[in-house]
Amino acid sequence: MKKFIDESWLVLLMGIGFACLLAGAQTGLNDRIQDNKKAALNQGIAEVVPDLGSEAPTMFEIDGNNVYKCLDNNGQLAGWAIVGSTGGFVDTIELVAGLSPDGNTITGIKVLVQNETPGLGDKITTDPAEKNFYPRQYTGRSTNGPFSLTKQDPQNPNDIQAITGATYSSQYVMDIVNDIIMRIKPQLDQHR
Amino acid sequence: MADENGSNLKQFTDGIVNNNPVLVQLLGMCPMLAITNSVANALVMGAAATFVVVMSNTITSLLRNLIKPHVRILIFTLTIATFVTIADFLLKAFVYDVAMKLGPFIPLIIVNCMIICRAEVVAIRNGLARSLADAFGIGIGFTFALLILGVIRELLGAGTWTFPFPIPGIAPEGFIQIMPSSFADNGHNWVIMVLPPGAFLTLGVVIGVVNWIRSKSEGGA
Repeated sequence: MKKFIDESWLVLLMGIGFACLLAGAQTGLNDRIQDNKKAALNQGIAEVVPDLGSEAPTMFEIDGNNVYKCLDNNGQLAGWAIVGSTGGFVDTIELVAGLSPDGNTITGIKVLVQNETPGLGDKITTDPAEKNFYPRQYTGRSTNGPFSLTKQDPQNPNDIQAITGATYSSQYVMDIVNDIIMRIKPQLDQHR
Repeated sequence: MADENGSNLKQFTDGIVNNNPVLVQLLGMCPMLAITNSVANALVMGAAATFVVVMSNTITSLLRNLIKPHVRILIFTLTIATFVTIADFLLKAFVYDVAMKLGPFIPLIIVNCMIICRAEVVAIRNGLARSLADAFGIGIGFTFALLILGVIRELLGAGTWTFPFPIPGIAPEGFIQIMPSSFADNGHNWVIMVLPPGAFLTLGVVIGVVNWIRSKSEGGA
């Protein structure tokens, strides 16, 4: 036992010291980090729910997905913002989708968290050269049926065109949107 | 590598020039290749790695007479992991967007052999001043090398230089458009430069140029 203490007291002490240091850093910075996360989410909601008023949306949960009920400046329902996520091509993809007040139209999608390949898969978030071609496809689409991915020009009303060189990333984003419109959207009526 | 007789100043400048961790020692290649597709990423990764190497060298140097040789690697790893985690918190708190882009590459600084190499080669056998001079030299040298790649790759790949945060007067929106905007709009940008192959190509050319300059300055040796 004495030999053990002799050999390892420094490691043990440093372990305790560093644990305190990490706890301090976590405590000190956590509020700021959570604020940043919330700001990114709020910015995303504002982008996908066009008529959002100044009042903060109310949040509730449907089957594990966070849903935000958004009001406009007159206190009328402005739309719904629904957060969904899935494991992506590289790492988790999380996005927020906006639905119109009646739930029948997608008013936009915004990817919040992704680690897809720079220059290819990350076009699911922003793609200045193509004016955000991929996420823009969802805006204004009906929520009737699941979307299907195509590599050609879209032929059918439910077709979404994949990003060239990033079919998987496109597929994962579409999976989240399909899950939201097929599983979460029918349950919105209970929360009006 | 550590010249026992050199001055602290020489230890500092060696880290940037003669002993540059990336361009001469070829250490820390993983972040080098993965995240140098924009200037902002390069700057933030460089700053994070500099913070970690400075803290790791400081702790190792202060405790160098207490550290038992056979547990030294354990202690280095413990120290580095702690400060990488703190760096990760700091980035998420102050430059959230870039931290999100860098994703897993910040935690991966833990296994960056450049940092453990400085603890093993310099900090464990030198005083605080020497270890700090070395850490800042290596950190700045690393940042400088990342920056060279970031500047070239982002310019050719996207036509812009982005910064971790908006700079009033120079880059109010957080980036400077270097190439005319028609460069990227018309698809003339070299997409390969922001992809991994672009990193290998650029790094090869830059290391070649550095070796050529070094051989020139050594009298064509």
